Amino acid sequence: MASATQKARRAREAAPDAAFDLWLDRGLNNMFGKLAEDPIPPELIALIETSRKDS
Amino acid sequence: MSLKPPHVGSPETLNRGIASPGVPTTDFHDLMMAALSSLRQQALALTRNRSDADDLVQTAVANALAAKNSFEPGTNFRAWMGSILRNRFLSDCRRRRPAASIEDAPPTSLARSGGQEESLAMKELQRHLARLPADQRLLLMMISVQGVSYEDASAQMGIPVGTLKARVSRTRAQLRSWILGEAPARPLLKGARPRGRLDLKLAPEAGRTPQADREFHGRWLT
Repeated sequence: MASATQKARRAREAAPDAAFDLWLDRGLNNMFGKLAEDPIPPELIALIETSRKDS
Repeated sequence: MSLKPPHVGSPETLNRGIASPGVPTTDFHDLMMAALSSLRQQALALTRNRSDADDLVQTAVANALAAKNSFEPGTNFRAWMGSILRNRFLSDCRRRRPAASIEDAPPTSLARSGGQEESLAMKELQRHLARLPADQRLLLMMISVQGVSYEDASAQMGIPVGTLKARVSRTRAQLRSWILGEAPARPLLKGARPRGRLDLKLAPEAGRTPQADREFHGRWLT
């Protein structure tokens, strides 16, 4: 079982990782997340609707 | 594995890529509509180029529509469709570069900024994301941005859940190592390329099951 000192050291080591993970997640959301709000290209919708009508 | 039934929005909200709350649907075309935004994100993660991403989605959707009779109603549509998208990307890469080593298309800006300049940090992140194998980038985006469960990602990519969790953890550690300039205790990613070059095996054609894609190249240590 880990000692209190070992646990404290692990907690200190984990803090910068957690900060980086938060920064990384924000960066990834900045790059990819907003694309979900963009309008879908009309030609893509037309492709699906044409298939629906032909079904 | 569980997947919330997708909801279909009104034509207006569909055009904005937003599904409004509604009655769960099992109609194939409705499922496709509801998945488009997610597919565009995944395509961008693979191609790192918006124009190529739109082309990839268009082709993958056309392939899926042609193969719609092979989809079993009630099963995981997004995993099925995501697999088609991923296989299409791999086929396109192989077609562009018949040799074993391929090079990713030059990336356009991934980050959206309010002004002319992007932050240096975002540019740095973009540069290092480009060094990752495409599948790794896709997985990281699916888990971190789309909130896809590891179970659903496993269904889509044909890779065990435990392996995916380890890969995501190592990907984050690798990016941290590159961006913060820290030397890892041991090599993290054997397949990462200095300039974003990829070595890919040809994946099965679109429509094949995710299980058939176990050989996708990533050179993971485990």
